[in-house]
Amino acid sequence: MAAGPRSRALVASLLAGLGCSSPELTELAYSCDTSPTPSQQTEDGSLCGANDPNIIEPSLPSAMDVCQTLRAEKFASDMSPPDETTLDTARVQQALNDCRGRVVKLEPSESGNAFVTDHLDLVSVTLWIDAGVTLYASRNAELYQKTGSCGVLGVNDSGACKDFISVSGDSPAIVGDGTIDGQGGEPLIGRDYSWWQLSYALREINGSIGNPTMINLLAGTTGFVLYRVTLNNSAKFHVKITSTPADGVCDRPGKGFTVWGITLLTPSKWTNSEGLVLTPSFARNTDGVDPGTTSIATCGVIACNTISTGDDHIAIKGGHWVSDLIIAHNHFGTGHGMSIGSETYGTYKTADGVVHRGVERVWVYDLTIDADSRPVGADAVAADFNGIRIKSDSSRGGLVSDITFQDVCMRDMTNAILISTAYNPLFAGTHYPQFRNLAFHDIRHVSCMGLRQPIVTLNGFNAALRAGPITLDNVVIDNLGPGAVASRHADISLGPRAVNFMPSGEGVSIEDRISEASEPKRCVFPTLPAPQPPAGWLR
Amino acid sequence: MSSGAVSPAWLGALAALASLACSSALAERDGVCREDATFDCRVSPMRGAEPIDVGLVGYGCSGSERPDRDARYEERIPMGKVCAERGATAEGLRGFCCTASTTSCAYDPVAACEGGAGYRCRGADRPEALNAAISCGNGVRRDIYIDYCCTGPEPPEPCIQVNTIGCSERLTGFSCPGAALPRGEELPASESRADYYRLLCPMPTPASNVTRSNYCCYMPALIPPGASCVQNTHVPGCAAGRFGFACYGPDTPNQDYAPMSCPEPGFAGESAEGYPATLYCCDFR
Repeated sequence: MAAGPRSRALVASLLAGLGCSSPELTELAYSCDTSPTPSQQTEDGSLCGANDPNIIEPSLPSAMDVCQTLRAEKFASDMSPPDETTLDTARVQQALNDCRGRVVKLEPSESGNAFVTDHLDLVSVTLWIDAGVTLYASRNAELYQKTGSCGVLGVNDSGACKDFISVSGDSPAIVGDGTIDGQGGEPLIGRDYSWWQLSYALREINGSIGNPTMINLLAGTTGFVLYRVTLNNSAKFHVKITSTPADGVCDRPGKGFTVWGITLLTPSKWTNSEGLVLTPSFARNTDGVDPGTTSIATCGVIACNTISTGDDHIAIKGGHWVSDLIIAHNHFGTGHGMSIGSETYGTYKTADGVVHRGVERVWVYDLTIDADSRPVGADAVAADFNGIRIKSDSSRGGLVSDITFQDVCMRDMTNAILISTAYNPLFAGTHYPQFRNLAFHDIRHVSCMGLRQPIVTLNGFNAALRAGPITLDNVVIDNLGPGAVASRHADISLGPRAVNFMPSGEGVSIEDRISEASEPKRCVFPTLPAPQPPAGWLR
Repeated sequence: MSSGAVSPAWLGALAALASLACSSALAERDGVCREDATFDCRVSPMRGAEPIDVGLVGYGCSGSERPDRDARYEERIPMGKVCAERGATAEGLRGFCCTASTTSCAYDPVAACEGGAGYRCRGADRPEALNAAISCGNGVRRDIYIDYCCTGPEPPEPCIQVNTIGCSERLTGFSCPGAALPRGEELPASESRADYYRLLCPMPTPASNVTRSNYCCYMPALIPPGASCVQNTHVPGCAAGRFGFACYGPDTPNQDYAPMSCPEPGFAGESAEGYPATLYCCDFR
């Protein structure tokens, strides 16, 4: 693609004076123009992941597998939430109960395109949501009531509500080209506020509302698949993953769980049905995909997804144990980052008697993170723009080991790379973060529309609990300003290809193994899905 | 006397008052500190690991003097050493292990830290991150600073959230060492932001590990203004798993906490803090 009016050639000048090791990086101009190719397609037109020998795409069930087909009886549009005079909960739940081991398919009909249900239990069954169908979460908070605080303003009760969809059992799946909509921005029935307004009211005290999780996997789940569906507007986290191989053996990536080809866009609309403007910043605590939240998650693949939301795109939670993940060919828009943590203190003993800890063996490759795909919200703060993030502190830290980031492009982040052991400095504890064997290969951050210069932070906890080795190999963060690289108590290895900054700080050791000239990674940012502004809005 | 004139006698009295006020807060120095290269300032990276040298500097101090007392502020940024007190030196002086360089924390001589030292810090660095020999309690935000109370030895092991102790769906399970009770920050295993929790926990249930206790705790909803009932896990005769309360006023736990049912009448006793109170033993409905 020809360089557009916003093309820049900053690299060479920015490299000068930053103490880079020689041989130096080759100058490489980059374009701030967004590729017209949608994020759900590849630039060369091939199927995403088809040429990747590490992973295997799931497939839709065959018609033979379908146990029951339910047809939509309600009609909904972007202009108004679906009617909830009657709900589809009973018939959908009954079908799910009756079809364990097989498939329940939701289809559109001549008069309907929507199902509306409250809490659903999906046990060892596949829910196939067909193209043209949306499964809406009811806006009636009373139907999710768990502790009495569900839907109540100002209550800091993280467990107040049931999930929208609880998943458990062997090989459960949610597939298809349809949509699940949590209606997080729409007013709750009988109330003049939404799930997100409930959450936003606790923002000042960093509180956590107990809104329903869109899809929550329960402990003991094995072989979960989430394939191709679109997820919009969850009231809180979108997908919490707890799933492992049924036989406990990870001999094929994705045997524990697979999330492939989903489009997660939250908020999906510019305004709600009452005209209230919805922004990612307003959709608080709406993490995209979080492995390890409820219990262990191992042997997983998260591939070919598009995620744009109001909190972490992916947050790997090591409060139990997470291991052997491949996160590949994903495109992220707005969000708080490709994150690990903040809980990393987990321990888990497998049947062979081995005790596993925290987060181990994660390979992230072919990832774009683009903050420019849509406005985040006027109230967004710097911490809302993170690229790669490993976060923990002494109240919730533990082992994070053997993590590789490779072929990652980022645009207009505040924290391009953030390895932090001080996620919340207020909390005391003896769960000290231990970050070991972190590798970064072919990483590029470019600045286009961002008003803030990017920051790189590479911190161990203290002189006795150092981070590292941290390998930086062809890592180029454009537009770094003075003092933009902070490091402490870390063992850092540079090379074999050049890096355009030199970490330094108390207790930082540098092993300079740079031996090759290199060219910064070429970055192309696809067109990400974004709600279209109504008339009168410029952007 | 006209309003504009102040007599020398008044000025003298004011000066005396001022000096009295200061002397109560900042005690006069009654000792000295000297570097002591023989004092062992190595630290163990993990519990039970071999201690290693992390560059801390040993000091021996007499009287109540400390090596970090000369902290200062420059453009509102604290600057000082962070020091862990670690027993006595070979010469019988109070031994300290301090950061070799100035940090963004300042020793606070007027902090109310019983048996420990107070530090006022700027930024995200806890004192433990600056000095591996120290351990500190929860930080408290004050304006642009965070205040910490710190001691030399390691703090007690925290509680851990557990899902395997048979709590009902509406309660959250914790395993705690000794007499510790779950704290807010020990909850967030499933949350990305969950910093301000006030859990309500029942009488402890014995755990399979005799050094620990289990709790199935409840997250209270809004408590009515003027509510006086507080958690008390020491109510006599209240069985394990039931919720004990101490009420200072005429209200009862079921009035303050909707899911509570208190079948037996209250009786006179003391709250966990040692104040006279009416004690109740209740059930979570």
